[in-house]
Amino acid sequence: METLIPDYRRDLEIRRYPLYVYVLAPLAAVVLQAWLPRLLGRFAYMDLPLLVTVYFALNRRSPIHGTLLGAVLGLAQDGLTQGAIGIHGIANTVCGFLAASVGIRIVVENNLIRMVMNFALTLLSSAIVMFVIRVLLGLAWHSSWLDELLRAAGNGLIGLVLFPALDRTQIRD
Amino acid sequence: MEFFLSRYRNLIVLSAALLLQVIGLAVQVRRPVTVAADVAGGPAVHVSRDGRGVLLIRLWAASLVTPFERVIHGSGEGLNGLWNDYIDLRHTKDQNKELQQTIDRLRLEQAELREDALQGQRLQAMLKFRESYIYQTEPAQVIGTSGSSQSRLIYLDRGAEDGLKPDMAVITGDGIVGKVRDVFAHTAQVLMINDQTSGAGVVLETTRIRGILRGNAAGQPQVINILADQRIQKGEHVLTAGGDQIFPRGLPVGVVDNVQRDPERGSFINVVIKPAADLQHLDEVLVITSLDAHLSAQQQADLATSEELKGAEAAAEAERKKAALEMEERLPGLKDPNAPATAPVLGPDGKPVVAPPVAPKPIPAKHPDRFSPGSAVDSPGNGADSGGANEAPDASGESAPKAAAPKAQPKAQPAKPNAPAPKTPQLGRAQ
Repeated sequence: METLIPDYRRDLEIRRYPLYVYVLAPLAAVVLQAWLPRLLGRFAYMDLPLLVTVYFALNRRSPIHGTLLGAVLGLAQDGLTQGAIGIHGIANTVCGFLAASVGIRIVVENNLIRMVMNFALTLLSSAIVMFVIRVLLGLAWHSSWLDELLRAAGNGLIGLVLFPALDRTQIRD
Repeated sequence: MEFFLSRYRNLIVLSAALLLQVIGLAVQVRRPVTVAADVAGGPAVHVSRDGRGVLLIRLWAASLVTPFERVIHGSGEGLNGLWNDYIDLRHTKDQNKELQQTIDRLRLEQAELREDALQGQRLQAMLKFRESYIYQTEPAQVIGTSGSSQSRLIYLDRGAEDGLKPDMAVITGDGIVGKVRDVFAHTAQVLMINDQTSGAGVVLETTRIRGILRGNAAGQPQVINILADQRIQKGEHVLTAGGDQIFPRGLPVGVVDNVQRDPERGSFINVVIKPAADLQHLDEVLVITSLDAHLSAQQQADLATSEELKGAEAAAEAERKKAALEMEERLPGLKDPNAPATAPVLGPDGKPVVAPPVAPKPIPAKHPDRFSPGSAVDSPGNGADSGGANEAPDASGESAPKAAAPKAQPKAQPAKPNAPAPKTPQLGRAQ
């Protein structure tokens, strides 16, 4: 349990990244999210913009930062669909805020924590998307929860590779 | 106040972000905007779901993402082309020769078919019946998707500058794909037929049942809201009905995969379709940009060549017929030219009388008995039909064949030991 709670000043410090990482990582996430399903078909169980939102929210430890980044990436995702603008925006906004709030309290470099966080937040995102579509928009929209579970698992696994890769780009004192 | 703002700053920002987006959602569910659509031969109007602001967000998102997708797609295509065009060139020359021959043949066939189509259209115009034909298509590459499993949308590398407009039909050689939704300068969105918000008029080929095609949650197209019908079988072909004014009539959609009862309305069924086009792995598609007959210079030249060839073929056919007639006159027939010409027998009404067919004479029996044709019990004055050796004779022998005249002939001709045995009449078979 001690390994999950930050004890040292290093664990609580705010990670900083070069500007190009702040620009390129979200952009690459949105582009790949739109392009990879061409290769993988219906097996594209991933949500890369959500992963990037969670990563920066966890490491920046700023709920405002996580909220705004989630909103921008979610709106960009919505812009590529034919659905209403704001569905993924609301979901990613909430997930970004929660990830940053949790990131203050736990060690964010633990791979297990990262995987569990990604899994749980992806499921939460799916639940919010369903809520917005069915309740707020009143649309009859069906989805398979097995697919949502697989997407959450996919995000958990991809995060194990993506997060250490992004860790390498951070600015160290 | 400052304390409140600083303490709850995070929550205030979160609430503001959520509130703005919820208001944005509320704005988007307003009444849809109707705008004019000038698709050649297509519908007069189409309904746009987006307002101006929403369209702007889509434009920004598409402008942000599609250039990179285009680069990625182009790089992949470039590597592929490098391999196919410069490295893997085995048998290319032979294939090229064969393909060139095929193209020449198909061009002429296409011209002939076009003639038929034009004739068909003229006839339809005479009958005041209008049907759309595909005359112009724009090939396009698929460069991306929506990235969301909730939205079956693809992006093309062609846009308004290439002549694409909303509500144009998108097809492949196998079947229909979807319709163009939003068009930007260099890209266009295509709503696929397996999306839950799509719609296309279709007809089942055999049963002629019509319905609306729409996607389900699993991403399969299905014909919805049709009454339960036992005639619908798995494997039946589904075609476009043409009533939606987007897809021309008769394009393949797919085949019936299974039939599911509508959970909400028991008497209705949903027919799940296996799409003819591979919607999961689309690379190249065709956008139908025109349904009017505008023949290109090449097509007009092919048409003229086809007409010339048709004239030459007709002349050659006439020559062949003429030569055949001449040959028929010169060749000896089956009739004996030296036989005397017989005058036709005229009846009382002056018309020629057709001679009755000659009844075959039965072969004499080797051991005649009272049942044999022409035996002693045969009553010569019997007028019954002698047709039959197949008829069972009665005790008086009234049904014995009449035509068996040489009754003593078998006895007068003793059978030779080496002579072949004469065939016996098939009398016993009827008994």
